[in-house]
Amino acid sequence: MTELSQIDLRSLAAGHKRTWDAFVAAASPLINAVARRTLSTYRLSEDDVMDAAQDVFVRLCANDFRLLKTYDPTRAGLSTWLAVVARSAAVDFARRRRQATAPIDEVPEAVLAVEDRHVEKLKIPDGLLTERQTLILRCLYDEERDVAEIAQLLRIDAQTVRSTHHKALLRLREHFRGEPP
Amino acid sequence: MSTERTPLDDKALWRSLATERPVAPAAVSDMDFAAWLEGNLTEAEAARIDEAVTADPALRQAALDLADILSKPLPAAPARMSVRAQALVGFPAERQPRQGWLESLLPDFSQGLAFRRGALAACAVVVAAVGFMLGGGISEQYQEAIYASSQSSSGTAIRPLGRDTTGELADLFSDAT
Repeated sequence: MTELSQIDLRSLAAGHKRTWDAFVAAASPLINAVARRTLSTYRLSEDDVMDAAQDVFVRLCANDFRLLKTYDPTRAGLSTWLAVVARSAAVDFARRRRQATAPIDEVPEAVLAVEDRHVEKLKIPDGLLTERQTLILRCLYDEERDVAEIAQLLRIDAQTVRSTHHKALLRLREHFRGEPP
Repeated sequence: MSTERTPLDDKALWRSLATERPVAPAAVSDMDFAAWLEGNLTEAEAARIDEAVTADPALRQAALDLADILSKPLPAAPARMSVRAQALVGFPAERQPRQGWLESLLPDFSQGLAFRRGALAACAVVVAAVGFMLGGGISEQYQEAIYASSQSSSGTAIRPLGRDTTGELADLFSDAT
């Protein structure tokens, strides 16, 4: 079977049937996986997964392959771009269905928690932390992700995640030393 | 008893801070997001996406899901999914109309199917030409027969075509012997 990286994009955007068929065969596992993962929180049926995946393919070839022509191979691999497009399409599909009926037992406590607005929180001054440091702290503490997961997300090694986290906390402690929260 | 404040641990320190952004970050395009997921952006470009991902829990969840999916081997998709998707392209109703009428008469040689159709059309033309020539030969004989019958009908009664009533064949055989 043809790999996604072997697909002739010009031929695909020109609408050649053989190339489209090869593209569909190569892209189906990825689109299936993304649609399935995205819809898993919406409790939709197998037919809905099929329809959501079909929506992705329809988007790709609609209006003379307009969406497909926006793909820039110099910026990202076809698989990654396709996964992002599939995720967006699946989210739109699920919203149209409006069946977000996750049982309350399966919703993380952090989502259901009501924040105590009476607690005065200190604002982090602009520029104290980089965006990357903020993102890592949020993933670690607000979402309780593990270091390996964050490293995978940011395509950096786990040691870099740890050192970024360490430097960010040093800055925070340094800044708030005079005014302990 | 000590009156010294117990230092907060890292998690407690973070949670005691106001980390919500007052302004929503700019929207992120699919292409930018894909480039960010692959780590292909400059530091400045990546910082913009970092900010959006930090501020938007849905985008953060999407990033984590996609990073996970892209790092693992994928199970095969149901065959029905591929069949339905493949049917989206290639049917006559879906094809683009061509620009000019002259262009529309020409086959699209960029497709393998067109070559096969062209070869079939060429075969059909050859068969038709051979058929025409054969048909022409038969009609020539038919014309000769009509001419001959019209010549002989001036002196004798009308004879049915195809029957040798003039004895020409008998003469032929007698000459041969």
